[in-house]
Amino acid sequence: MDEFIEFVRGGPLGPIKKWGTKWSLWPVHLVTACCGAELAHAFACGYDGERIGALNYGIARQTNLIIVEGAITRKMARVLKITWEQMPDPKFVIVMGACGLQGGIFWNGYHLVKPSDVVPVDFYIPGCPPTPEALLRGIRQLQDKIVTGEAKTSATFPEIPLEPGKKPRVLPRSPKKISKAPAVIVNVPRQVEWEFGEKLVEELKTKIEAKSITITGKNRIAVKVEKDAIPKTALKLKEMGFDHVKNVNVIDVPNEDKFIVEYHFSSYSVKELMPVLVNVFADVPRDEPKVKSLATMFPSADYLEREMHDFFGVIFEGNPWTGRKFLLAPDAPEYPLRKDFKLEEEVYTR
Amino acid sequence: MFDVVQILNYLFEIFSSNMMDIPLIAPIVDFLMQIPLLNILVALILWKPFFAVVIMPGLGVLMLYLLYIVWYERKLTARVQWRVGPLEVARPIRGAIQTLADGIRYFFQEAIVHREAHRPYFVQLPLLAFIPVLLPILFIPAGSAVGIYTPYSIQLIVTFLALIPITIVAIGWAANSRFAYIGSVREAFIYFAYEVPFIIAVISMIFLYSSGDAYVAVEKQSMIPGALLNPIAFIVYIIAMLMATSRLPFDIPEADQEIAFGPFVEYSGILFGLVMVLAYEKLYIMTLLFTILFLGGWSGIYCPLLGDLNGPLWLFIKTVVVISILVIVRSIYARYRLDQALRIGWTSMLALSIMALIVGGVVGVWLS
Repeated sequence: MDEFIEFVRGGPLGPIKKWGTKWSLWPVHLVTACCGAELAHAFACGYDGERIGALNYGIARQTNLIIVEGAITRKMARVLKITWEQMPDPKFVIVMGACGLQGGIFWNGYHLVKPSDVVPVDFYIPGCPPTPEALLRGIRQLQDKIVTGEAKTSATFPEIPLEPGKKPRVLPRSPKKISKAPAVIVNVPRQVEWEFGEKLVEELKTKIEAKSITITGKNRIAVKVEKDAIPKTALKLKEMGFDHVKNVNVIDVPNEDKFIVEYHFSSYSVKELMPVLVNVFADVPRDEPKVKSLATMFPSADYLEREMHDFFGVIFEGNPWTGRKFLLAPDAPEYPLRKDFKLEEEVYTR
Repeated sequence: MFDVVQILNYLFEIFSSNMMDIPLIAPIVDFLMQIPLLNILVALILWKPFFAVVIMPGLGVLMLYLLYIVWYERKLTARVQWRVGPLEVARPIRGAIQTLADGIRYFFQEAIVHREAHRPYFVQLPLLAFIPVLLPILFIPAGSAVGIYTPYSIQLIVTFLALIPITIVAIGWAANSRFAYIGSVREAFIYFAYEVPFIIAVISMIFLYSSGDAYVAVEKQSMIPGALLNPIAFIVYIIAMLMATSRLPFDIPEADQEIAFGPFVEYSGILFGLVMVLAYEKLYIMTLLFTILFLGGWSGIYCPLLGDLNGPLWLFIKTVVVISILVIVRSIYARYRLDQALRIGWTSMLALSIMALIVGGVVGVWLS
């Protein structure tokens, strides 16, 4: 922030303040991603950031520099803001890594926040991840900024002049169109040598009223049921020895106007059933996505159902958490993994 | 009516009657003493009580020592870890003024007083903590220079040292944060664990010299140093010193990786600068006492050119050498848990200190 630079440089004691602040930039590091490893490298033997007076401290109250390492999500934005507010003035921020700049591999994600929207950033260090030299160079640039009072980039880029009369080239946008008929088939039958599986399918057919029961691979069985029959099927499977839910999954199929809700059952107690994975799935209409919850029958399904409700808005009736945000930040947009979810468009022209 | 000139003359007589005699700078002093008004300043500076308290081994060299020891500790730790340590701030002197830069930065930073803190105590306790830390300097003699002479100087120093943890616990209470609270409780636990063996070890040395007078202690060590007369008390004193000043094997109250500097977690700016040097100052005072009790105090090779300065200089050199050796433990030891440190304090150290008491009594009879 420029007022801090002005404070450090100004006044009759300016030269002393400037000198002291320049050689004593203690970073508190806010690690959200793999750039933390590069920071550790930059301050270990070999590069040794302590040479230029930067001592890694880790306690916000006694430091004056934040190094943001990695993507800042909506949840971490609050952490960044709190850390910034805990620090005494004058304080500076360096953001390292491509994720901190424009999102990097998470570019245009629904959960991302730019660090510059949260705190005033002094320097960006590009790279994925930046090398230790680049990080130390960033600290050096900040020292130069404190001394000279103006921020200068240490990298140079070639300039391409715009020709008059030509339309600026627009970079390709993120895909918006929905494919006409994507084939989402969960139960593709496959021929495998698995005697126990065939026996198991026969047993299942006598016990469960299912639309179809298929072997989709070795140790894999897919059971298609009506959406109201999921709890009944789960109860039957529990009696057979399948004692936990490994996974709850939702697939969005907008062209057929439905969700596919999958429950994966497996067993810890019966030895023969341990490698077997039974996938019980049902089609759920998109305009009224309601399924009976299995949370009371299988406690391991509770967490996964909450997560799926967060991402797709499928209502699991009977799950006590349904209707509230569980993993997402409170201000995150609703149901971000639905295929018709509109992202905020970012367009760059040159 | 008081006459200013008369008062100044009276003061000048007091000062000049008890001045440091240093042949090396005698011509300069003689010249300055002829200039009116300046002579009273020179006489004050060289007045023995003032010199001992404010210059050497008192506040003046204490500041130098603080600048040196923080840099030295960082540099030594860096060398142990195959790094370079602070360097670029002043290349020709290997970055020796790094601490000065950090101090200036702290001085000009905002000192935050958070909402939950007990405001008056939070601000004044770092300053109040200096009273028990700096008062022992009054009673520590260095050669012929001494602030206040008393035959109970060793007891008095130990008394003031025992007051320091109270201020630290109060700091933690005033900060009113969970880390500060944990740190304060740890400090209180550790305090009882080291203080009992520490005081018994000092009492054993008082038995040995049959006096609490530092001059008697140094005189009796003219042949054999106290470390050889009572090696058990020597060991107990070193371990208690590490515990008392939160050096690394016993860095339990501050423990920056677990509880983020414990009682000092909420301090920032110049207030943190004040509380951070507290442990270093305590280390300095304890090592001065250590030097007097075990290493022959200010006795050393007499240099006739330095005259009266020999005593303070030797005391300071011995102290700094001892501290420089002690800071190595920071780089090579891991931290004990609280219960392990308490077990050491209440079992082996207590037993050793009682053995030291017996040794002190026996050797004391043999010496006298």
